[in-house]
Amino acid sequence: MIEVRDVHKGFGKIEALAGVSFVADDGRITGLIGPNGAGKTTTLRILYTVLRPDAGRAEIDGFNTAAAPREVQRRIGVLSDARGLYPRLTAREHIRYFGRLHGLKRQALEREIDRLLEMLDMGAFADRPARGFSRGERMRVALARALVHRPHNLLLDEPTNGLDVVASRSMRALIRRIRDEGCCILFSSHIMQEVAALCDRLVVMGRGRVLADGTPDALRRDTGKTDLEDAFVTATACMTG
Amino acid sequence: MFERIWVVFAKEVVDNLRDRRSVATAMLYPFIGPLLVGVLIGLVGGAVRELPTRTLDLPVLGAERAPALVEYLESHGARVVSAPSDPARAVRAGESEAVVIIGKDYAERFANQRPAPIEVVSDGSRLSAVMATTRAMTLLQEYAQSVAAARLGARGVDTRVIQPIALDTVDVAVGRSLTGFFLNMMPPFIIFTIFIGGVYLAIDATTGERERGSLEPLLANPVTRLELMSGKVAAAFVFTAASLAVQLIAFRGVFTLLTRGDASAIAGPDGVAFVAVFLIAVPLMLLAVALQVIIAALTSSFKEAQTYLALLPLVPALPGLVLVFVSFRAHEWMLAIPTFGQTLLFGQIVRGETVRLLDIATASAATSLVAGASLLVAARLYRRERLLFGS
Repeated sequence: MIEVRDVHKGFGKIEALAGVSFVADDGRITGLIGPNGAGKTTTLRILYTVLRPDAGRAEIDGFNTAAAPREVQRRIGVLSDARGLYPRLTAREHIRYFGRLHGLKRQALEREIDRLLEMLDMGAFADRPARGFSRGERMRVALARALVHRPHNLLLDEPTNGLDVVASRSMRALIRRIRDEGCCILFSSHIMQEVAALCDRLVVMGRGRVLADGTPDALRRDTGKTDLEDAFVTATACMTG
Repeated sequence: MFERIWVVFAKEVVDNLRDRRSVATAMLYPFIGPLLVGVLIGLVGGAVRELPTRTLDLPVLGAERAPALVEYLESHGARVVSAPSDPARAVRAGESEAVVIIGKDYAERFANQRPAPIEVVSDGSRLSAVMATTRAMTLLQEYAQSVAAARLGARGVDTRVIQPIALDTVDVAVGRSLTGFFLNMMPPFIIFTIFIGGVYLAIDATTGERERGSLEPLLANPVTRLELMSGKVAAAFVFTAASLAVQLIAFRGVFTLLTRGDASAIAGPDGVAFVAVFLIAVPLMLLAVALQVIIAALTSSFKEAQTYLALLPLVPALPGLVLVFVSFRAHEWMLAIPTFGQTLLFGQIVRGETVRLLDIATASAATSLVAGASLLVAARLYRRERLLFGS
């Protein structure tokens, strides 16, 4: 469960977030959508504790991200905007490093690593150093290390960005599967078809504000557009002038 | 807390042991000092130290024309050997150090008490040749003087009239001063190693982490920034310490090789001295790592960090380099200057002088304070949001 209440965040003179509020429920996929510069990444960064809000609060399972970051970090799995790997570590070592930082040990950790390697079909490159990995392989490593502690909340910043069709499909299948386990998933995207196919709920952002918030159907109804992309354009246009 | 620091530490060590640049910086750079000084002293010192005592093999062309001269040379520390057919070429090629050529009309002119021609073929560009030539010239002049003395004596003239001055040189053991030079070169190299040993790891673990985009996912883990920094600092410290250990062992090895079989040489620092140097270096190593992390946290790219951190070791090493050539009376308060205090202490230890415990305490306390303050600054930089973006 993710709750964001009237969050403000500025960088120097630039106001990145001007009072963002929304809720993402458990067992739902919530899509954070908006044009570039809308504040999606900043919102996610505040939720995964690397930025602090100037005002307002962000909570994960009732824990404030600024006041109780350790509690929050234990409950989230993060695929951040930057998803760099260590070129000299193998895929398996990447997952192990994050698992150990979460306090997992020995057999329990190794079992979890094996489970993820199988689930994400990483057997072929599990013990190769990350230096020569393809985009798809890098993405799977980044995702596996984010899932090693079986987080209840998943924060994904443009998870299909740069993936080919097949990889995008399997990523969407994976996100659904995790949702069906009862987890809370918040992901950002600017690709309408993806959001339409995947999300139970949409939060449309523009210029640091939430412009619309509801199910895809409700959004279509409110804007009077049958196509979600048109609805999105209408929503961002009328609210930002 | 310590468990998470250990996890970060272990990851950085394993990761950087696989990095050629990190390992080369930590394990190969430390050899440069001992090798450079060793080769220098080995070449120059070997020639300088051995020649004056060794029998001089002196090729003499036309030795049969001057049997008395040959006899004189052989009874004064030289061994006359057969000369090469082309003396100039042989000396130029380094096959002979110096060749004495007795002139064709030597015997005739000598008998008539006219200046008898002798040439010495030499190569002024080679130190060993110059040394040999000097010895040959000295012997020839001594012979000339003894002949002159005999001739004047035969005429009833006191030989002292042609000796307006009594010249003698006092040799203060060339080998000894070279050893001293070697010992004085050690402190600046040690300082340099302390500031360069862990530098690649420090950059890689901070600037590199950010540049690769691996910092952001890392920061989302349940680890405090202080724990992250501590693990990285500990890893850089271990690389620095390993680097210094390698260098001290190399210095010891080179020193043993150079002074082997040389009775005139100073015994040099023993194992205990090297352990003392290492222990005194501990606060300084902490300071070096803290400064590296600060610079790495403030720079926005690997290249930028590398530029600053490559220059960093020169600053603290410079005073030590100056001390090699300039004698200098240190005041006690100078021991409190981080890096300079240690430079002075290292110098005293390797030269085998007595080191006061109070001086060690002063230097260590002062440096520990500065190191602690630097670590605090580094920790503050790690806590900033801007760590993610560089500044």
